[in-house]
Amino acid sequence: MMRFAQWLHRWLGLILLLQVVLWLVSGLYFSLQGHHAMSGHQYKQNPTGLVLRQAMPNIGIEEIWRRYPEALSIQLYRIGDTPQYVVELADEDVYLHGHTGQLWHTNAKQAQQLALATYSGPGNILSTSPLTKTKELVGWQGQGYKILFADELNTRIYVDAANGQVLDHRNTPWLLADWAFKLHFMDYSGARSFNHLLIYTAALLALWFTLSGVLLLVQNLRRGDFNPRRQPTILESLQRQHKPIASGCGGGGTCGLCKVKLTEPTVATQAEQLLLTTIEINSGIRLACQHRDHGQTIILLDEHVTHFKLALVAKTKLSEAITKLTFKSEPSCEYSAGQFMQFKIPDGNNVLLRHYSFATKSLTTAPTDTPLLHFLIRHVPAVANVTPAGIGSSYLLGLQVGDTVDAAGPFGNFVATDTNREQVYIAGGVGIAPIHALVESESQRQRHLFHGARSEAELIFADEFKLMPTLDYHPVVDKFVHEEVAHWLNQNPGDYDFYVCGPPAMLAATLQLLADKKIPKSRIRYDDFGI
Amino acid sequence: MSTSSKPVQQSSSRWRTWHRWLSLVFGVQLVIWSISGAYMVFFELSFIHGDHLVKTNHPSLPNSAQIRPVEHVIRAFPRAREVTLQPTLVGGKWIATYEVFAHRETFLVDAQSLQPVVFTEADIVAIAKRLYAPSDSAPITRATLLEHRAPAEISPSLLPIWQVNFDDFGNSSFYISPTTGELVTKRHSFWRGFDFFWMLHIMDYETREDITNWLLRSFILGTGLLSITGIMLLIFTIGRSRGQGAHS
Repeated sequence: MMRFAQWLHRWLGLILLLQVVLWLVSGLYFSLQGHHAMSGHQYKQNPTGLVLRQAMPNIGIEEIWRRYPEALSIQLYRIGDTPQYVVELADEDVYLHGHTGQLWHTNAKQAQQLALATYSGPGNILSTSPLTKTKELVGWQGQGYKILFADELNTRIYVDAANGQVLDHRNTPWLLADWAFKLHFMDYSGARSFNHLLIYTAALLALWFTLSGVLLLVQNLRRGDFNPRRQPTILESLQRQHKPIASGCGGGGTCGLCKVKLTEPTVATQAEQLLLTTIEINSGIRLACQHRDHGQTIILLDEHVTHFKLALVAKTKLSEAITKLTFKSEPSCEYSAGQFMQFKIPDGNNVLLRHYSFATKSLTTAPTDTPLLHFLIRHVPAVANVTPAGIGSSYLLGLQVGDTVDAAGPFGNFVATDTNREQVYIAGGVGIAPIHALVESESQRQRHLFHGARSEAELIFADEFKLMPTLDYHPVVDKFVHEEVAHWLNQNPGDYDFYVCGPPAMLAATLQLLADKKIPKSRIRYDDFGI
Repeated sequence: MSTSSKPVQQSSSRWRTWHRWLSLVFGVQLVIWSISGAYMVFFELSFIHGDHLVKTNHPSLPNSAQIRPVEHVIRAFPRAREVTLQPTLVGGKWIATYEVFAHRETFLVDAQSLQPVVFTEADIVAIAKRLYAPSDSAPITRATLLEHRAPAEISPSLLPIWQVNFDDFGNSSFYISPTTGELVTKRHSFWRGFDFFWMLHIMDYETREDITNWLLRSFILGTGLLSITGIMLLIFTIGRSRGQGAHS
């Protein structure tokens, strides 16, 4: 439930991002301006003194009624100095001149006078132009005039020629407000309607967005995240003490990397139920971000984990996108094949943590000589103004031989099993790094390697794999690696241990395949890039 | 063992902390905005206005009527600015009347006698019944002439006014002028709901019309900050985390 709420909140947030900002900006504009400033009526006044006795019509109301016996009502009105009859019929209104009984018409000069009578501003008339419709009066069309005034608001007054009525005043603040209404109501026709399909959809999504936010907030309150004297989470505590601990999501309970062992009985949270195996939970393993540090005993899972200073000794471009970096570590680093190192990437005043797997097996043969550490770095270029270049990869690829970088490790349990089964390795792209290390370090059991890449050139380590006589090597280019595995499994049913590492889509497809083949979860190990 | 002198804290957790605190303060109003906004969006404005409750057609002028010339009306009421000859339902009959607008007030006179037209309660009820549009005509529970105190749902400037209440789905009320017999405005439950949500939306809990209050302004600005922290978190969680794994 909470995980769904979190997922929903994120994706709706992404979809609604722009509109929420537009709602806020336009809402702020309304609040700063107020009704009057946005009405266009800053210089509008009601003309006074228009009493009928000074404009007695030459034609009586009975005469008008005789002409229009079906009239619903007949109104006598005064436009400027002229009496006007408005005859209301079932389907239209007819405007008549009170002296002549002819159909009403206002000419440009009269329109100017009528406009002036409703204008209280400092400007003079700048221009008068006839028009039949305008975007500034949605729903009106007919014969009319636009009378422009020379004032600081660019006031324009619209007069209807068919009845001499001043339709409305418009000006620059009105135009700005009109845009704010368009944004707020998502109605770009200018009609200021907030009952239409687009905004129904947005309103529904916004409702789900805020309600999922409330759910998450309630969870935070229940967990005591707002208590100023609250204990930090174990993760925060370890990070403050500069203890090496992996984390991809920063305490959101979504990456599952910050595993620690707690000796006191601790109830597993929902995130832990999802991210940890039953065996892990039963043996006391928990996620450090999910529990408060109240002084309980915390056992870091990898006792070998420590801090290192890595000095770059070689930079080898293996393909267009992939570069191998070779480091000398101080102190000497021992790890298991399949594990990864946490690099501390300086970013302004901050330190970003990035994880890279060891690309070769641990070489502990020569105790006098410091073993070298190899990592594969995929260059993440900026996509023209859309996403910035990867901070971690850019930084590491920018290192020169002799430069140093801080790191902690080794981390991870993507390591070899201790069974007697045959080993099946499935790698996609740069995910070959930990797989290569695993393949290299396996000496007893039969090995099958499926290696997918975008091109021949990106089949890193292919030459080396081809030279291994006991390795069953399947390079896969231009095809989906999981489909190759499916095909192979159909022809070679048996008991295997599986190791999967690659980009998210490949990983998901492969895990789905293995699930479909009813392979027990305990026989599958995967490295999910720490998401 | 080497230790970094810089804080080893992911920037995402700092944004997360801010996002949580800001949502605690401003998030509640954001929820209110989305609920009140959704109400206003999902119910058609014409329905909220109660247009569906009112018959728009009315009869033409009564043919047989003898009327006084309009000059007589203007002389009798020298401040008249508008005079309208119209049919009016009084005493169960349609008669011709002049509606006169003069010096900020509007009133009715009989078109034959130029005497003021006076509406009884029965006249008002008859007018309300004729205007009521829904096909199942609802019983009128009460017709009251409000003279001194206006209910919250109408402006006191409309007083005095007849309030006619219907026993229907939306507890509709018609407000009818005692001087012209015209429907001035109408209210029903969904209008009242709209008015309530509008109050919540603009955060003016007293007059329900001041959109320039500082409470609203500060909540908009605070929610702006909340969105900025949210956007940063989105960049971290959706954009980056997929690329910052073990290998990329």
